[in-house]
Amino acid sequence: MDNNFLVIENISKSFGDNKVLENINLNISKSEFFGLLGSSGSGKTTLLRILGGFEKPDTGRVILDGTDITNLEPFDRPLNYMFQSYALFPHLNVFNNLAFGIKENFTRKEIEITVRNIAELLSIEHLLNRRIKQLSGGEQQRVALGRCLIKKPKLLLLDEPLAALDKKLRSKTQLELTTLQKKLKITFVFVTHDQEEAMSLSDRMAIMKNGLILECSSPEEIYENPKSLYTANFIGIANIIEIYKKDENFYSDDLGINFKLNKELKNTKTNILLRPEKIKIQSINNLKTSSFNSFSGEILEKSYLGSFTRYEIKIKNMIISVLDQNFNSSSNYNFPKGEKVICSWESESIKVLED
Amino acid sequence: MKNKLFEKYFVFSPYFWLILFFFIPLAIIFKISISVSEWGMPPYQDIFLFDNGFKINTTFENYVYIFSDYYYIGSFVNSLILALISTFFCLLIGFPLAFYIATSNIRLRNILLVLVVIPFWSSFLLRVYAWKIILQNNGILNIILLNLGITSEPLQLLYNQYAVIMGIVYTYLPLMILPLYGYLNKFDLNLIEASKDLGLNRIKTFFKVILPLSVPGIVAGSLLVFIPVVGEFIIPEMLGGSDRLYYGKILWEEFFVNRNWPGASALAFSGIIILVLPIVIFQILYSRWSQKNEI
Repeated sequence: MDNNFLVIENISKSFGDNKVLENINLNISKSEFFGLLGSSGSGKTTLLRILGGFEKPDTGRVILDGTDITNLEPFDRPLNYMFQSYALFPHLNVFNNLAFGIKENFTRKEIEITVRNIAELLSIEHLLNRRIKQLSGGEQQRVALGRCLIKKPKLLLLDEPLAALDKKLRSKTQLELTTLQKKLKITFVFVTHDQEEAMSLSDRMAIMKNGLILECSSPEEIYENPKSLYTANFIGIANIIEIYKKDENFYSDDLGINFKLNKELKNTKTNILLRPEKIKIQSINNLKTSSFNSFSGEILEKSYLGSFTRYEIKIKNMIISVLDQNFNSSSNYNFPKGEKVICSWESESIKVLED
Repeated sequence: MKNKLFEKYFVFSPYFWLILFFFIPLAIIFKISISVSEWGMPPYQDIFLFDNGFKINTTFENYVYIFSDYYYIGSFVNSLILALISTFFCLLIGFPLAFYIATSNIRLRNILLVLVVIPFWSSFLLRVYAWKIILQNNGILNIILLNLGITSEPLQLLYNQYAVIMGIVYTYLPLMILPLYGYLNKFDLNLIEASKDLGLNRIKTFFKVILPLSVPGIVAGSLLVFIPVVGEFIIPEMLGGSDRLYYGKILWEEFFVNRNWPGASALAFSGIIILVLPIVIFQILYSRWSQKNEI
């Protein structure tokens, strides 16, 4: 696989005194579905707009398929951009919106055939004569997607592709989008602030904060082994515990318990991550607490989520979140509020955060 | 009950206004235009005579008179051409300005809008007179041109149709910019980016996206300039020469110099009908079209 299909090299961008992007470097492979995840103000949309050609970077280069496109105008770039608002042309019907980008170079007949094909691909053939205002949000999203894909771009940029859809439609569209991308083998780069969306769509994703890329890896890797405290907190639910070396083991003042790690640490003091689903929760009657990697605490809050129950468990100065899968429908697995429970975990589940 | 009555009056208030200040004056003008003229005060005969029984005393001779003399028709045509040219130039200058104002940041936008409106704070006559001072033979513009050596003798800039067009474009430009701005203000700039992204360069994007979506603003601004310019009297009078006669001037002369009220009224009434009828038809067709296209 070509790892250098899209190369983003030393890209920096400021708006006035405000540094939006600082020395961004990324390599994206051909046919990859790549996500840029960050909260608002992280610079992710600016980066996407630089790729689209709507902003010029202060420094750095963008190389697409071996060609430097940094100074090309948007209309000269072999890529397309799907706007968050979809930016469909209200004065044109669906057919003419789809045909907008190919009218120049195609004959009438070719346009007709190409539009029909793309409409079929996205199952919007029945909408071709409609006005944009007569479309639902989901239909508009398909038209916007079709209008880009009809140009057969080397790269498709998507700005918050699902943000304007309601929740139920969103998960359906998510699946369709990944299927479509795998089928067409077009490289997709998208921007989102929604971590679930980023995880479910991306082959790889980059976490952005204050104009920097903190981490770039597969969703699994980022969830299971985040490098930074920010990422650990940003993706999923995180229990962050500060520990320090004490004799053979590590000790947490907040929890008042010992941790046993299966690897050595560089620092004597560090933050560790413990994901809530990695913690096993048991009734206090069954067991005694062991001397490490376990504690007993009191259930402070409980929320039933269907397939899971989320507990907030108080121990000493801290509240630890635990996700407990509801294996069967009997209430044995559900601990009531105020109950004392024992929590424990494997040494491998403890992830050491670098900063 | 009282509230309902108030609502009714409130809804119909534009119609009251129209009746009071448009239809009644129009009816009076029409009445005078079909009267027989005479020397006296007022300079026309009553249309209903009761001396020897009831008699209707009307004539269409005034209409025959103005339509058979190219002097009148020609001046009206001149005014239409003047209005067309002026509207075109107002649009040419006003559109980029309105677009720039609408797309600039809020602070700059407010400053620019104030600058557009500021001329309204001074007298209209004064502003036109200022142009006279700028354009006259020993005026500022000629002094600059002479000193720069661009011309060896003062240019005759005043008292011709070009000075008139310039004066009108200057005066009516805000009337073009403001409705255009009001419309362009709502323009989704992503549409321009989307068009470029789909491969259309700036010029094509302008004609395929910006222009079609600006039609309502262009129509509103153009009508606001075109209609009053047809009847414009002061600017041609002050900046124009004898090379071209315009409708407003002829109308004024017919009323106040020739004291031919019935003739002048016929001229005024014909002018309104010729001007308003096509515009009303255009508006009806246009509103149907824009509803269909949902612009």
